[in-house]
Amino acid sequence: MVSKAFRSTGYFIEYLALIISIISVWTIMSNQGHLNTIILPAPNSILETIVELVADGALFTNMFISVSRVLQGYLLAAFLGISLGILIGLSKHLDRVTELIIQMIKPIPPIAWIPLVILWFGIGESGKVFLIFLGGFFTILINVVDGIHQTDPKLVEVSRSMETPFWKHISLMVIPGAAPNIFTGLRTGLSSCWMCVVAAELVSSTTGLGYLIMDARQFGQTDVVIVGMLTIGIVGKIMDSLLRYAEKKTLRWI
Amino acid sequence: MGGLSASALLKQEPYLVIDHVSKYFVQKKQRLNVLEDINFSMDKGEILCIVGASGCGKSTLLRAISGLDSDHGGQILIGGKEVVSPSKSRGIVFQEHRLFPWLTVEQNVGYVLTGIPKEDKKKLVQEYIELVGLKGFEKAYPKELSGGMSQRAGIARALVNKPEVLLLDEPFGALDAFTKIALQKELKRIQRKSGTTMVMVTHDIEEAVFLADHIIVLDSKPGKIKLEVQVELPVPRDRNSYEFLQVKKRIYEEFFEDEKIPDDFSI
Repeated sequence: MVSKAFRSTGYFIEYLALIISIISVWTIMSNQGHLNTIILPAPNSILETIVELVADGALFTNMFISVSRVLQGYLLAAFLGISLGILIGLSKHLDRVTELIIQMIKPIPPIAWIPLVILWFGIGESGKVFLIFLGGFFTILINVVDGIHQTDPKLVEVSRSMETPFWKHISLMVIPGAAPNIFTGLRTGLSSCWMCVVAAELVSSTTGLGYLIMDARQFGQTDVVIVGMLTIGIVGKIMDSLLRYAEKKTLRWI
Repeated sequence: MGGLSASALLKQEPYLVIDHVSKYFVQKKQRLNVLEDINFSMDKGEILCIVGASGCGKSTLLRAISGLDSDHGGQILIGGKEVVSPSKSRGIVFQEHRLFPWLTVEQNVGYVLTGIPKEDKKKLVQEYIELVGLKGFEKAYPKELSGGMSQRAGIARALVNKPEVLLLDEPFGALDAFTKIALQKELKRIQRKSGTTMVMVTHDIEEAVFLADHIIVLDSKPGKIKLEVQVELPVPRDRNSYEFLQVKKRIYEEFFEDEKIPDDFSI
């Protein structure tokens, strides 16, 4: 009988082994001069760069700036996505009218919006937040609408048969019924918003992780680029885990 | 058996009146009469069972009485007022428990209650949870309950607002035989205590004879009334008494004409 602790330790050991092997092969190849340091720096050089960037504050400052931008865009996307999603989900009329427009705008990648964003918003913060917003909005909207559509109509009928007042019906019936889909949308949306950070910070920025990466590229500082990428990945993962935790607590009735 | 209802004898206005109710569907350009000229009435405090085979329109009739489906011919009157939409004064118990999975038992039971102070609501909900025998499960989620328990919670939910009429659509159909009998007894007991008028749809003849004061047998395709009887058996009802079986046999014969039990049969 394999205990749970042993199993997760087993996986942990495998993860560790995988990472150590990759880093070892990488270090060996670098030391033997097989790798061009500009194309792929050695792991110890990357480690040094991490220490440098943390010490002079560049890493954490830019990280907080990017995180705050993403949060602004994401929270806006969540708020509008959920409220509009509820309206469209509940109204067959609205659903039919808006469906075509949504399906047409959704596939356009945020990067393609950059020229328009610069024209509309100039080169300030709002343009960047708008791009990040675009990254998450449609995903959240569509998931909310789907969530409302796939709620068991038998349950909706029960609420109707009790003459439930409108706001009670929305808060105790519609939203919880759609909650699993809403959370899926929120998680996917957050990950999309994160992926837009670099694109958003292309709109003339001198701060943020995206700027850090682009600026480093111009000076051939590939190690800084890699550290920036790693940071984006790690922060993204942390935010996703936080959201998953919130989801688990909220949906404990499933 | 058969004969005039109590209100007709006393020349009082009946409480629930079904007046020339009909409903049809159009399928493949053909008109299907699900319900055809249904007429009957019942008194306040009575239990009426509508018995019929599956698909005979009995659920459609119940939904019309509840107001969930007002697209029909004729009219339905309760206490003199026409039924056109769902109302809190008509509680419904469906065949599936239909509890909201994201609410606890007590939150589900109390769902319909609005505009009353918190302590009163809590007391009322507790009273009905205990009435249906679910004491101790107030904070449980539906996923933790068995079929019978969920159905009981559904009954508590329908009763907590003290509706004037309780409508039940094959409420015990999905349960095993033992749970079914236990809940039938429970329902009869609750009805005697609360005096709620009940209309129940079922395909279980024994269930109808056990519970009802008044039985209507519905034919299918088209849905027409085949038989209407008053059940005058004493309460508590003995399922195995001769009188009980006589009533049951009378209704049984409406469905299975070729199997008449000879009078001198004995084991």
